[in-house]
Amino acid sequence: MTIHLSILVFFPLIAGLLAAFSPGSLAPKILLIGTIIPLVYTAYMITDFDAGAGLQHVTDDAWITELGIRYKLGVDGLNLWLIALTTVIAFASAIWLIVRPPAERVGLFCFHFALGETAVLGAFVSQDLALFVLFFDLMLVPFYFLVGQWGTGDRAAAALKMVIYTLVGSLLMLAAAVATAALTNPDAPITFVISELQANPLPETTQKWLFIAFALAFLIKMPAFPFQGWMPDAYKAMPLPALAFFSGVVSKVAAYGFLKLVLPLFPAATNDWNVILLVLAVISILYGSIQAFTQTNARLILGYSSVAQLGFITLGIFAMDSDAAGAQGALLQSINHGLVVAPLFFVIALLAERAGGSEDIRDYGGIAFRAPILAALFLIVALATLAMPGSANFAGEFLILLGAFSSVQFLAFVASVGVILASVYALRMYIRSMHNRVGEKVTSFEMSLRDGLVLVPLVIAIIAFALYPQLALDAGEATVRSTVEAVLR
Amino acid sequence: MSVQTLGWLVLLLPLTGAVLIGLTFKALPQRVHGIIGVAAIGLAFVAAVLMFFGLQDRGEEERQLVSVAWDYANTVGVDAQLAILIDPLSVLMCLVVTGVSTLIHVYSFSYMGGDRGYTRFFAYLNFFVFSMLLLVLAANFFLLIVGWAFVGAASYMLISFWYRRTTATKAGIKAFVINVAGDVGLVLGAYFIFKGTGTLDFLKNFELVGEAFTENQPELVAGCILLLVGAFAKSAQVPFHTWLPDAMEGPTPVSSLIHAATMVTAGVYLIARLHPLFEHAPDAAMVGSVVGCATLLIAATIGLVVTDLKRVIAYSTMSQIGYMIMAVSSAVYAAGMFHLMTHAFFKALLFMAAGSVISAMGGNQDLDKMGGFRKVMPFTFACMVIGGLALSGIPPFSGFFSKDEILAYMVDRGGVYLVMAILGYVGALLTAFYTFRMIFRAFFGEMSPEAEELSHGHLYHAPEPTNPANGEVEDTEVGFPGPEHHIAERAGGMKIAMGGLAVLAIVGGFLQIPGVTSELHHFLEPTFHDSELYETIHPSATAEWIGLLVGAVIGATGIFFAWTIYGKGGNAASFQARFAPIHKVFVNKWYFDEAIDFLIVRPAAWLGRFANSTFERIFVNGALVGGSTGAVRALSAAVRSLQSGYLRYYAALLLIGFSGLGAYFLISA
Repeated sequence: MTIHLSILVFFPLIAGLLAAFSPGSLAPKILLIGTIIPLVYTAYMITDFDAGAGLQHVTDDAWITELGIRYKLGVDGLNLWLIALTTVIAFASAIWLIVRPPAERVGLFCFHFALGETAVLGAFVSQDLALFVLFFDLMLVPFYFLVGQWGTGDRAAAALKMVIYTLVGSLLMLAAAVATAALTNPDAPITFVISELQANPLPETTQKWLFIAFALAFLIKMPAFPFQGWMPDAYKAMPLPALAFFSGVVSKVAAYGFLKLVLPLFPAATNDWNVILLVLAVISILYGSIQAFTQTNARLILGYSSVAQLGFITLGIFAMDSDAAGAQGALLQSINHGLVVAPLFFVIALLAERAGGSEDIRDYGGIAFRAPILAALFLIVALATLAMPGSANFAGEFLILLGAFSSVQFLAFVASVGVILASVYALRMYIRSMHNRVGEKVTSFEMSLRDGLVLVPLVIAIIAFALYPQLALDAGEATVRSTVEAVLR
Repeated sequence: MSVQTLGWLVLLLPLTGAVLIGLTFKALPQRVHGIIGVAAIGLAFVAAVLMFFGLQDRGEEERQLVSVAWDYANTVGVDAQLAILIDPLSVLMCLVVTGVSTLIHVYSFSYMGGDRGYTRFFAYLNFFVFSMLLLVLAANFFLLIVGWAFVGAASYMLISFWYRRTTATKAGIKAFVINVAGDVGLVLGAYFIFKGTGTLDFLKNFELVGEAFTENQPELVAGCILLLVGAFAKSAQVPFHTWLPDAMEGPTPVSSLIHAATMVTAGVYLIARLHPLFEHAPDAAMVGSVVGCATLLIAATIGLVVTDLKRVIAYSTMSQIGYMIMAVSSAVYAAGMFHLMTHAFFKALLFMAAGSVISAMGGNQDLDKMGGFRKVMPFTFACMVIGGLALSGIPPFSGFFSKDEILAYMVDRGGVYLVMAILGYVGALLTAFYTFRMIFRAFFGEMSPEAEELSHGHLYHAPEPTNPANGEVEDTEVGFPGPEHHIAERAGGMKIAMGGLAVLAIVGGFLQIPGVTSELHHFLEPTFHDSELYETIHPSATAEWIGLLVGAVIGATGIFFAWTIYGKGGNAASFQARFAPIHKVFVNKWYFDEAIDFLIVRPAAWLGRFANSTFERIFVNGALVGGSTGAVRALSAAVRSLQSGYLRYYAALLLIGFSGLGAYFLISA
């Protein structure tokens, strides 16, 4: 038995447990170590990765034999770069927690954060449906506590709302997962292993209602229109380092879920109903963008912009063009979006610090003059967010829209309006904070070296990825292609 | 060095300059940054010249080469590579861009001397030149779009350069958003082409377009029209032009370089670059010709009445680019590119001269406030007149040869093109008129207080600098109008740059004298070897000379009218009153801003408010959880009383359950 991936998944949790019982000054440092090991291990996996070899670094053990649940983990072209994204963002957030620890119960905060990373990594590497559901639901727990105990404003209500929304999705998915395993090949012994479920597709009518349950769970998690009701309150309340990770990574688990589970397990239903998802995706794009440029709370601007960006990702996944350009772009865009949205939340923290704690962009203004480095970094990230050509985000959007253009031309045209709107909300936020007259509450100063430790590596990652997105594209191409081809067949 | 290496060098030198200035912004004094900025572009120009000679050394068939750096997004059938295409057309553009940029960098070295944002300015300006060269050298649609967007971003940063001015930030975002709309047009257009030919590479596309599409096939026409949307947005053609006049918020060297000489001509370059596609889709090309023609007229009429010095030149730029777009869309490629080049010279010169005047005015750009600068700023006046004569098409200045060559070729093509040529001559009359209206008002007549002060030997300083657009007190922390400002009469750098351009504006036209020289036409031949129309449309030298003479007479007439109305003893007010209704339309710029506001901006803002206030609150919050409507409130209260107290225990239970499962696994394994 190989245990490599278990180390990747559970190392953060072990560090988190240690951190929970450590003094507040030490806890974030332990957490940092807990995030470095997976980061290094991921870097190794990327260099070691063989794009043609299918599932790699496999761990496959019996777990609950009576139920056919196996502890099966593995890495392929779909999850490799998402794992990398997770470890990078977690690492940056850990540094953030060292630089600016939460006011109280630091150890527990670090524990919950670590648990969150373990859950996300677990969901990404799971090759067993039950295991995936387990990790997927586990993700909810730490963030519930992080909002409820360290949040700002009306945190109890926000936490409750988030839990109720996502629990509805989770329960549906749990039921659907059990049903999938039970109904697949009833004569053979029950199994939850995804590859085996995939090999014996269900009848079309069964697929359809299972498809609905899974799709609901993922759309709520993203969130996509019209399931975004929990998002504003949760985003307003969640502590920023946790939010950076949450928005950057957790929403990607949902996108990944579509590619990993829904398309392979329910190909017929996908074929029948992808148009519904496409329409929801396009509405998410437009609705999210329009909301993003009317909001004044900086967190909500990013929150709604994420709704729009996840809309693009969903559009790509369900474009179902014969070359799989859409899905390929969606995978790339999942990484890109995580990579830009996390630093933006850090930027919000820095802006609030310069504007008397306010997170309302109406209180900002003119910060650039005394903080040129911060302004430059912010500008780079903002331009990447609006998918400026030259950024990896553009490569992703280019492929997504190309995919949509090939299969549903009309929707591609409508979605492209979202590209224009993105430039409005991204630049609006930049201009309102950095440019114009100096706001009344603003006292501008340059970011410190310590803040740079968080922000600069992320910006470098954005630039590096912008120069050479081919790296991630190569890894994912074979898997994505076969996934989409299986549906179209 | 090989031509390919030189091509990459041309591209990378300005980028290196920008990065170097950016990284050392605290370590080095700002004058050093200015020197780095000028040197980077100067060296790029040298490399471009060497590239030109390297290309000329090769046989005619071998003058189109592609150099690939690496695969950028080469996946699922998409072939996006980091590759440059070097051929006569791109080399010509490189020469114009780096050449004019070098002079404008020299000008900026002096002009921006007193500005607090000096370092930032040179970093941005170098970045712009890099972006423009990327656009020009791109060998495929993908990289073209990247360059296209980069110049948009650079333009945005430079328009908003004085970022404490709300007018500047507004103008910046307007320019950016309209340009992004253009980018989207390009992307969608590229999709149409890509779907047909299966490649993004230009040269392959040119080969395959004939097989992949029938002539005027709807997909190809749609694709080309979408590409034109990109071209129109960048080149400020109707109805995507409204950002350009506002872009005059940027410092004058920016207006000169980006919004006159280089970036705004990108649309012209695009059409010329993609000519095999447009020739295969004549319907789309016709759209380009008509829009170009409409723009040249509309812009010229607005130029007649605008009172802001820089905006007069901005509308003039729009109008002149209208000529170029009309030309290249009508397959009059060499003449269009010729006009692009000469226009770069004389328009950059006009802006620089205007910058000198504006400096002397202490930042005020209002023509109504100017007057009598002729005697106190003789050098600036001379440059302005040279630029003005070239723009008006008076022999032997460069604009005379280039603009009238376009019109002569259009006449030769006949039919509807003849009509457009006639409208082009009408535009020429208006051009000469508004150009000299501007010159007469700024340099003749009563001396303004500012000119008066200059005649006593010192520069005018406003007691408290205000933004002339809205009266807001300026925030001098970020720069202009700073304590010092520079005028051509005193600053060496400005004089050198303006002198250089003045010479080019005079002699630039000699490249193509009908019946005598036709250097540019020959030079560009390898690029247009696949064009059926390149050689067939060719008026005789006599016909061209007749056209030239007509043009010259029209230009002189325009100047004469301007003199009778705005010169000595003219009565502008009564003239204006006589044409009051039409004057109103022109002053309101044909109401384009209002129309866009009404049709696009307001509905979008309204939708946003609706989504936020009504939809989100009632539908999303109300119908699902925690809403305010009665039934939901009661329901959720019930749920809450049941759960809220215990919810954290549930969560803890879930956690323990998971741990138990984990333990089970450990034991059973």
